[in-house]
Amino acid sequence: MSSELVSRELHVCMGLNSCKNAGYSGDNECAGQGDCSTAVEHPCHTLNACKGQGACGIFGTTEEFCHPGENDCRYQGSCGVPILNSRFMAQGPNKGRSVWLLARARFEEKRKANNQTFGEAPEPFGPTEEFVNKLRGTTGQNYSSCAQSGSRACSYINDKDKRKIAMEERVLKMEVESLEKLPDTLKTCPKNNE
Amino acid sequence: MTTKKLFKFTKNVTPDNLEDVMQQAIALELATIPTYLSTYYSIHRAQDQDKLYAKIHKQLSQSGTRPASEVDALAQELKLDILVYSNKSAALIMSVVIEEMLHLALSCNVKQSVCQVAPDLMAIGKVLSFPTQLDGHIPEFQINTSKLSLQQLTTFLQIESPKPFVDPYADKQKRSVVEYQTIGGLYKKIEQCIIDNFPGPYKKRPQLLPPEAGAGPRPFYSQNSMNTVHYDRDHNPHFANENDSGELVGVYDSKTAVEALHLIVEQGEGSTTKQNEKKQHTLEWGQDKMPIPMEIVVDENNVPSVVFWPGDYEDEGKELAHFAKFLEAYSLGRYYEEKFKNIQGLEDFNSYFVYDQGTNPTQADYDAPTGNKALALANKLGSAVFAYILLMIETCYYKEEDTQYELFMFGIHKSMIWLLSETGNHINTYTYSKDDQAYKGALTFEPYSFENSFLRPKEQILEILDELGKVDSYWANWGENYFPSLPDVGMDHSIIKDIPKVPSTPYKH
Repeated sequence: MSSELVSRELHVCMGLNSCKNAGYSGDNECAGQGDCSTAVEHPCHTLNACKGQGACGIFGTTEEFCHPGENDCRYQGSCGVPILNSRFMAQGPNKGRSVWLLARARFEEKRKANNQTFGEAPEPFGPTEEFVNKLRGTTGQNYSSCAQSGSRACSYINDKDKRKIAMEERVLKMEVESLEKLPDTLKTCPKNNE
Repeated sequence: MTTKKLFKFTKNVTPDNLEDVMQQAIALELATIPTYLSTYYSIHRAQDQDKLYAKIHKQLSQSGTRPASEVDALAQELKLDILVYSNKSAALIMSVVIEEMLHLALSCNVKQSVCQVAPDLMAIGKVLSFPTQLDGHIPEFQINTSKLSLQQLTTFLQIESPKPFVDPYADKQKRSVVEYQTIGGLYKKIEQCIIDNFPGPYKKRPQLLPPEAGAGPRPFYSQNSMNTVHYDRDHNPHFANENDSGELVGVYDSKTAVEALHLIVEQGEGSTTKQNEKKQHTLEWGQDKMPIPMEIVVDENNVPSVVFWPGDYEDEGKELAHFAKFLEAYSLGRYYEEKFKNIQGLEDFNSYFVYDQGTNPTQADYDAPTGNKALALANKLGSAVFAYILLMIETCYYKEEDTQYELFMFGIHKSMIWLLSETGNHINTYTYSKDDQAYKGALTFEPYSFENSFLRPKEQILEILDELGKVDSYWANWGENYFPSLPDVGMDHSIIKDIPKVPSTPYKH
């Protein structure tokens, strides 16, 4: 781990930072407005370097999937970072629903419980892969984390422009449905230590 | 190649032989895992759709049998056939692998509690090699590690068959001893012996237990992962296992022992408690001596789907039994093979997404003097990691819950999801020749004896990795979060504290 990262707040995605300038780019105004993860990059379950760096949804148990970014220890995290907007939970009563929305809801719960303020996230459903690539100055890099079943943001339409539109529509549908069902998602997920 | 029998099975289950029979049941559950995994790793689940389309388009165009206007649409349809089937068949197989891991743990829990003896997985791992067969099963049939094919799926159907079946080649086989005709039949005998002779309560010993309110975290089993997800033609995700498809069962008395064993049968073969009332697919043979497929319905968009019957599901649930999952993969695979055969210019259906791996490859195939050293070492690494997974699971039956937790989090999950999986997938980038034919590499799942070295098992794994990294840079510099962060477990189940930078481990909190 670089010394720079040791001195920074490490979090798993956009909109999950606790402080001003604690997003990836370091130029956000306040908590909850960071643009991307600062966690030590890792692609999968149990490969996280620190506390609070498991991003959830891909491999793990129903219980683990309730706590994105809330693991206690190194190697105990569930899944890679950042949490792209297309990532859905693969297991449990909330399967098929957005991981980022749950992570953000957990973040907001904690801030409110401590009477701390926070701003709106830069994107309402988390970052797209295109966004992360642009932000990090990379081209076509896969930030979607592990698993062999293929891209979670795709369509099989042959025309590439129509494919992108269809993909965005399908992911948006998942995001909107997940938002509608968020109260239900939180109901099935106990808070940490409950 | 000689088929090595996995175990010798006695005719009846008695209080005197229950311990041996349970060890044999564990061996049976364990034997299915490398078989299914070898086939899973042979499938290219998520290939580049544009390259695939271009390839099919070119083949259709070159055949010159249809106007260009038809070629575009047909190439797209065939591309979807391949992408959706390959991903779905892989997800179905992985969903069964996950439940076989559950069955392994359930049968270990039963042996540990009822017999008061820990499971000996390492002993099984030492003799498990392929081809094998389930001795005592009528009829006997050969089980291979092999790529996806209708023949391999037929073997899977035989393993999971809910009803006794007749060997289609019985006239060519020597007569065998009558023992049991389905795996469910074997478990029925065990259940009866436990009910009659071992009512419990049993003395408490370490088991792998389900989550429980008030207990610590027990991340030992999860029905789905992203590898059991597959996508339909509109790229909507589907999940191969249902949430109600079973959990670990703590074994404390005959009631819970029977509950654990019953779940194994139910998940494998389908509806049991109401079996007589529900229509269920069974293994029946056609004139070609291959299984008769399920009925297929083709919709207006030329998309096929199979017709399930009520007994194809587990009791009271929506979850398909292993047999039905494999029969679906077989039926659709057969449908597509026929479809592709009838279109001029195309290759065999499976060739578009199945790696050309040999049947029952061995380490000796890869160790040839002129062979690929990276392939030989990668396979050695895969065999060692698989053996180490068995050692870690076995160790769980000697340790308390907090240690079990860390063995799973730091070791078993990491090994199954990442280390074995990465090796199983990457090994097909190497090739070898056998009998003048070229094949892609595949894990052989041969016994790996850690006893052959004075080093501890983890050190042996790191040594192989180090050697492999020198001949193929792909394996170099993975970092400490991967292989070095495995727990250091000895053959005597001792654990040494050596995981990088986790001060609180191992393993007592």
